[in-house]
Amino acid sequence: MTTLLEVTGLTKRYAEKIVVDALDFKLDEHTSTALIGPNGAGKTTTLSMLTGLLKPTTGSVKMSGGDLRAMIGFLPQYPQFQPWLSALEFVEMAARLSGVPAKKARLEAQKMLEFVGLEDALHKKIATFSGGMKQRLGISQAIVHKPKLLLLDEPVSALDPVGRREVLDLLKGLQQETTILYSTHILNDAEEMTDQLLFLRDGKLVEQGTLREVRQRFDEPMYVVEFGSEEEARLFADQSEKYTKAAGCYVHVEIHEKNSNMQQLLERLSASPYTVRKVERKTASLEEIFMKVAKRA
Amino acid sequence: MSEFNVLLQKEFREAWRSWKFLWIPLVFALFGMSDPLTNYYMMDILNAVGNLPEGFDITMPNLVPADLLQASIGQFQLIGLLVLIASFVGSISKERANGMATLLYIRPISFASYFMSKYVVMSAVGLVSIAAGFTASVYYTFILYGKFEVTMLLAAFATYFVWLLFVSAITLLMSAAFKTGVATAGAFIIIFGGQIVDAIVGVFWTVSPWKLPVYGVQLIRGTMEMPDYWWSMALTVVLLLIFIVIGIYAMKKNAAMAKI
Repeated sequence: MTTLLEVTGLTKRYAEKIVVDALDFKLDEHTSTALIGPNGAGKTTTLSMLTGLLKPTTGSVKMSGGDLRAMIGFLPQYPQFQPWLSALEFVEMAARLSGVPAKKARLEAQKMLEFVGLEDALHKKIATFSGGMKQRLGISQAIVHKPKLLLLDEPVSALDPVGRREVLDLLKGLQQETTILYSTHILNDAEEMTDQLLFLRDGKLVEQGTLREVRQRFDEPMYVVEFGSEEEARLFADQSEKYTKAAGCYVHVEIHEKNSNMQQLLERLSASPYTVRKVERKTASLEEIFMKVAKRA
Repeated sequence: MSEFNVLLQKEFREAWRSWKFLWIPLVFALFGMSDPLTNYYMMDILNAVGNLPEGFDITMPNLVPADLLQASIGQFQLIGLLVLIASFVGSISKERANGMATLLYIRPISFASYFMSKYVVMSAVGLVSIAAGFTASVYYTFILYGKFEVTMLLAAFATYFVWLLFVSAITLLMSAAFKTGVATAGAFIIIFGGQIVDAIVGVFWTVSPWKLPVYGVQLIRGTMEMPDYWWSMALTVVLLLIFIVIGIYAMKKNAAMAKI
């Protein structure tokens, strides 16, 4: 895979406060990367620097080939549009300013607005748009010039569940054509469309890797055993060593040794007189990982 | 060039759809017609209002057309410019503050194009406005007082337009350099403060942009010392070009102030 964007030592300092602290990461072509972190971690500042709008204090953003601004599409968290323009006028203007030739701009703008489902509102003034419509308009202006890199700041956070679903599906459709970097604090979304994760905390990159890698790193092997009754579950938990706790008919068994497998657990279970209904290996959800990363000192 | 056209179209659409091309010229027209009318009908107005003591007698000055145009320009200088500056002083700073600039600034646009598109539109609104104001003033002056020499009238108009280009450059420079509040204060101080300073101690110099509006009228009167006129004109043009260059630089430098 070819690297599209390389960020080295990216830092932003305001007076005494360091908002973004020496980030290093790469984005490969046609991948989706989620920038995750609690509020105030520096996600938006990082994205602003990638757009070129904000000058980094130190560090560099390198993108293969030419003017960075011509190759990115950006959707801010709360996009603001000129309310006196119609949707088509706005997207056409956006396309032309990003270098789409005059002849093609209108057609492309129309296609993009249809793609995001605004075909009925082409000639309506943006002033009359709802929040969901503005978000979709925002996406269309970000992709109308076929950017190599799409930067999205909290693309779905402000939307209701229906709008979120729609926008997520739109973005998934775009994954094939472009590289996406988006910030979010809604982890289910990240889990749904992510090749790479970047965890930011207090401006520092505290964890990065593919979803799989990060999972493996944080996964403490955890097995859940369901017994026939609460009584049996409690008895089994009492007999076993630590890292075992009972809750209802379930017993959670945590095994801390690396590379441990189910073998020894199963052996112990089959030697016991209890009814075993189910044995399951739990994978840590992104949310659990997030909490661990956010709390880790 | 095409990028400039796109931005220009956007600015024109804004000015057009927010009725700036209608109501600002209307203000100028109203204040343009007020002086010829009120001066001409002053006696009638006084009689109609009444309450004048018995035996009260005043002599109205004998006004020539140039006097009335000068009075009208006096109105434009205060109320006209106030309206024009106030409606354009936020055109860069407000766009930054409310985030509307963000989706434009992130594109590969040149700030020179963007600044100039705003400058052209502000100047165009100004041009239409003073055209309306001059027309209204000259029309009633012509009916009630007498005619102007057309070439000199046009020269006075052109002179006032150059002054207006100067005002536009200052207004947009302020908007590019500061937040809206400071920009408004700055533009008002330079334009109106300058007028006051020029009115109080202006006898000590003859070359100044702030004198241009009066110089235009003096062209009509035929009392203009031409070297003073040309030096003031040259100084004004040089200054406004400098302001434009600084304005573009300030706009670029402050791009990061755009709200995300």
